[in-house]
Amino acid sequence: MRQRLRDPMAGLLFVLPMLVLFLVFRFVPILGAGGMSLTDLNLGGEWNFVGVDNYARLLDDPKFWDSLRITLVYVAIYVPLTVLVALGTALLLNAVVFMRGLFRGMLFLPYVTSFVLAGVIWRWIYEFDGVINGLLGKLDLGPVGFLEEAALVLPALAVVSAWKGFGYSMLILLAGLKSIPASYLEAATVDGAGPWQRFRRITLPLLRPALFFVVVIETIGAFQTFDTIYVMTGGGPARASYTLIYGLYDQGFKFSNLGYAATIGIVLFALVLVVSLAQRRLLDRGNA
Amino acid sequence: MTLTATRPATAVVKPPVRARRGSFRWPLWVLLALASVITVSPFFVMFVVALSPPGEPTLPARWPESLSLDTIVDLLSSSGFAGWTVNTVIYALVSVVITLLTASMAGYAFAKKRFPGRDTMMWAFLATLMVPSQATLIPMFVLVSGLGGVDTFWGLIVPTLANSQAVFLMRQFIRDLPDELFEAAKVDGASEWRVYWQIVIPLTRPILATLGVFVFLWHWNDFLWPLVMAQSDEMRTLTVGLASMRTEGSSLAVLMASAALSVLPCLLVFALLQRYLVNSIAMTGLK
Repeated sequence: MRQRLRDPMAGLLFVLPMLVLFLVFRFVPILGAGGMSLTDLNLGGEWNFVGVDNYARLLDDPKFWDSLRITLVYVAIYVPLTVLVALGTALLLNAVVFMRGLFRGMLFLPYVTSFVLAGVIWRWIYEFDGVINGLLGKLDLGPVGFLEEAALVLPALAVVSAWKGFGYSMLILLAGLKSIPASYLEAATVDGAGPWQRFRRITLPLLRPALFFVVVIETIGAFQTFDTIYVMTGGGPARASYTLIYGLYDQGFKFSNLGYAATIGIVLFALVLVVSLAQRRLLDRGNA
Repeated sequence: MTLTATRPATAVVKPPVRARRGSFRWPLWVLLALASVITVSPFFVMFVVALSPPGEPTLPARWPESLSLDTIVDLLSSSGFAGWTVNTVIYALVSVVITLLTASMAGYAFAKKRFPGRDTMMWAFLATLMVPSQATLIPMFVLVSGLGGVDTFWGLIVPTLANSQAVFLMRQFIRDLPDELFEAAKVDGASEWRVYWQIVIPLTRPILATLGVFVFLWHWNDFLWPLVMAQSDEMRTLTVGLASMRTEGSSLAVLMASAALSVLPCLLVFALLQRYLVNSIAMTGLK
């Protein structure tokens, strides 16, 4: 009897430290986010219950719609770019044998650094007296203001995040490629299928689960981009890179509108949830 | 943190030994080499600028004629940079130790113990994965500042320790350990704590190492939370310090030297544990 009683207590005791951490620093803030979005809390600590005023204000705010559009455009540039680079490099790594380990290491290297570091280096690479414009100058091509022109700033930022982040997706896709039995591809070759046909008819369908996983992960990550924007553009030029998260940070810590900032956080959560549920449905249908 | 544990390692099918498909495929090799050079070159130019003699105009106009450690030595002796480094080391190492301890304890309980509410708890932990950390940034800040945690190490560290991926990863690994081990220990009269300390910890060493590396890199590179928590110069971490140098207009050489120094531990960890990192992503990320 004692033996039996000891077990549940032991289990609870072992979970206890993590449970306390989760209760205080995950569940309380998650519930708090919802509650706070219904108040006009500011950094001074004063607050009133304002109902859905923050949400109404958000919907009325053209700057919110702007930042939502900017965020979606950024996601639409970043995700295909990263997934294509990850897929391309994974296919190459899978096909090449000589020095493969070294190449894999070099390609994955940026992943272990921070987005801040990526932003610091790349800001200088993009500048008028930076590396790219230095090279363009030698070719007699005019300097390009990558971070100064509204039309270029989102692609320029996406390239930096893609450089820093694609290695993770590349490894996932590489593992997916390795799990495809070589005999399938060999059989197809014997039947006279060319490289493109083999890719289209065998590799791509079998890689689909890994590919969807990577798309979901990268999409969620893209919605959360902050560090590179903070370091490289500060939301500019003329708000051209002012994403939802940037607005959240500004409202919370620059203008001290904590309630309003919490509301933007709820919108972000809803967006990420909707996108991942939609992608999950697509994935399930794809497998059926 | 992007380490995503979903299924146990067995999901990855080992490929059969690949038949040689003849040709050397040099065009693909050249493409791959080119891509690798592109990913590495930003680090290369960073180190070149960091090692350029101070005051001499270098890249992109011309290569430095000689390299010098002057900028780096200056930086190392400046109190600001040294302080940021110490803060970052504390932030990363303390987080690693506590996360490994609490996550392995919770993982052990979820894997091998029966207690009321176990599955609900596990599910609730995992469900928090769906909430982006930025969505709870404001309430977290209000909570921690209400508890007096702004500009303190505990305020920086403790809120980042609730890590469902770490718990889940530990649970998956411990679940695959044979039950007989634990039963035998119990028959021998070992206390629960002793079973944890002398069976669970030694047997989970490989996964603890991998998880430790990821938690270390994640904290070393973390930005938004330290930015919000460190309101005085003295509490800044390397990422926050680097960002502040950028906006306060430090010289390029100093900026690149700081960037280069701040990334060295990550490069070292990577160089030593590349195989570990790569395999664990391949193992854990894939469904």
